[in-house]
Amino acid sequence: MSAKILPNLKYTDDHEWVLIEGDTATVGITDFAQNALGDIVFLEFPEAGESIEKGNSFGVVESIKSVSDLLAPISGEIIESNTDLCDTPDQVNQAAFESWMVKVKIADSSELDDLMDADAYQKHCDAQ
Amino acid sequence: MSAKTSLYDAHVKLGAKMAPFAGFDMPIQYTSVKDEVLAVRNAVGIFDVSHMGEFFVEGKEAISFVDYLVTNDIKGAEMNKAVYSPLCRDNGTVIDDLIVYKLREEKIMICVNAANIDKDWSWISSVKERTHFDCNISNRSAEFSLLALQGPKTEEVLSKIGLGENVSTIPYYAAIETSFNGHPVTLARTGYTGEDGFEIFSSHENIAFIWDAFMANGVVPCGLASRDVLRLEVGYPLYGHELNDDITPLDSALKWTIKMDKEDFVGKAALADYNPKLRLIKLVMDKGIPRPGYQVENKEGKVIGTIVSGTMSVVLGKGVALAHADRDLFPLKSEETDFIVDIRGRKYDAKYVKQPFVTGGHK
Repeated sequence: MSAKILPNLKYTDDHEWVLIEGDTATVGITDFAQNALGDIVFLEFPEAGESIEKGNSFGVVESIKSVSDLLAPISGEIIESNTDLCDTPDQVNQAAFESWMVKVKIADSSELDDLMDADAYQKHCDAQ
Repeated sequence: MSAKTSLYDAHVKLGAKMAPFAGFDMPIQYTSVKDEVLAVRNAVGIFDVSHMGEFFVEGKEAISFVDYLVTNDIKGAEMNKAVYSPLCRDNGTVIDDLIVYKLREEKIMICVNAANIDKDWSWISSVKERTHFDCNISNRSAEFSLLALQGPKTEEVLSKIGLGENVSTIPYYAAIETSFNGHPVTLARTGYTGEDGFEIFSSHENIAFIWDAFMANGVVPCGLASRDVLRLEVGYPLYGHELNDDITPLDSALKWTIKMDKEDFVGKAALADYNPKLRLIKLVMDKGIPRPGYQVENKEGKVIGTIVSGTMSVVLGKGVALAHADRDLFPLKSEETDFIVDIRGRKYDAKYVKQPFVTGGHK
C-alpha cells in the first residue's frame, strides 16, 4: 500500500499535514495516518478562539478500535475550526488531505523549520 | 520475538496489518474493521485463530476429570457437545475461560485462550497430579491450526468446499470428527461472534488447504480487531477484560456457568460462600466512544464502575461497552438506567441495557 503524499504540504513525524498560507497554517492528518488508523468514527478538536501549543495534544481521532491524539504541529490561536467534519469523520478516510481540522494563526514562524517537506516525510513513512 | 501461525505468509500476502497478540504475530485487519464485521454479520468471514491452545484429556475418567476441573457441567452434557466454562482456582478466581469439546466417551478437547496456554497447562497439570483420575492430559497447541468460519452463509461455504457431511444437522455448540483431503478435522459449531459458524481444528498443512479453499470461494478474511467488535456487540466476555486472575465468574455475569448441583469441583466451596463485589453491565452511548479504563458515574456524579471493553458498534453505529460496576453502588435490584461516562474529562450519557447490543443469528 502506498499512501498519498502532496508536495505542497509540510508534515510532522506524527503524521499531521500542514498547509502554510501567509501566517495561517491549516492542519489535518495524512493519508498514511488515516490508512494506519482504519475506519475513523470520531473526531474531537477545539473551536475557533482556543490556542494550541506545538507538540501538545489538541484533540483526538478515534477509529473503531483505537484512540489517537492529534498533536499540534505549530503553536497559535485557532481562527477557524472545521466542526462539520466531526459529523462525518469517515471523510478523513475518503480524502485525508481535503479533511482539514483547524486553521491556526502562526504564533512563531521559526517553528515551521521543524516540519518535514514531502520528500523527508516520504522517507519517514517508508521507514515505518 | 513473536511466534507465527502457519498462515502468516498468507496474511501478509493479503496485505493484513499484523501485530503482536498473546505472543503471536496476528492479523489485526485486512481491509477495514467495518467491512469485516459486516461480512460476518451478513455473509461469511474467516478468522485465523491458530494462536489458541488445544489440550486433550484421554482415558477412562477423562469426563470425570474435566467435570472436576471446570465449573460448568461436563458429565451431564450430551456426547459431542461443546461447553463454555470458566477454569477456576480453589479460591474461585478465574484462570481462564475455555471451551470443552466432549468428542468421545474417553476423549475431550479443551480450547483455551492463547495468552493463557502456559498458565492453564501448569494449573491443569497440578490438578491432575493432586487427584487420581484415570486419564492422560496433553498440550497439543503447537500441532493444531484453528480457523473460525463465521456468518450466516457458513453452511453454504462448507458444502461448496466439501468440508463435513450434513453439517446442517450439527447442533449449535456441538462438534464432529471428520476429515478433509483424507486428514482428520474436528468441526465444531462454535465461535465467538454470535453468528452461526464453525471452528475448524486440523493440522497446519491441512488448514492451509482449507484456508485456500475458503479464499477461492469468496470468504472474507477477518482480523482480530473485527473479532473483538463482534464479540462485544453480542456481549461475550474476553479474558483480560471481563475476566481476570483477581475476580470470580460471579463478578462477571457467569453465574450460569457455575453448577453448584454437580459433584465436587475446583473452586466449588469458595464460590458457594462468595459474595460478588462486582456486576458486569452493558452500556450504550449515542455520543462518545467508551474505552477500557473510562469511569462510569451515576446521575449524582459518583463513580460506580469502570469500563472493561468498549468500542463503536459497527451494526448500531453507537458506542457500546461492558463495565464492572460496584455492587454496593449499583445493586442488582436497582432500577437505574441512566449513567455517565467520563471521556477525557467530558461527561457523556450512557444507558444501561439488559439485552445484548446486537442479536447474532446463531442456531
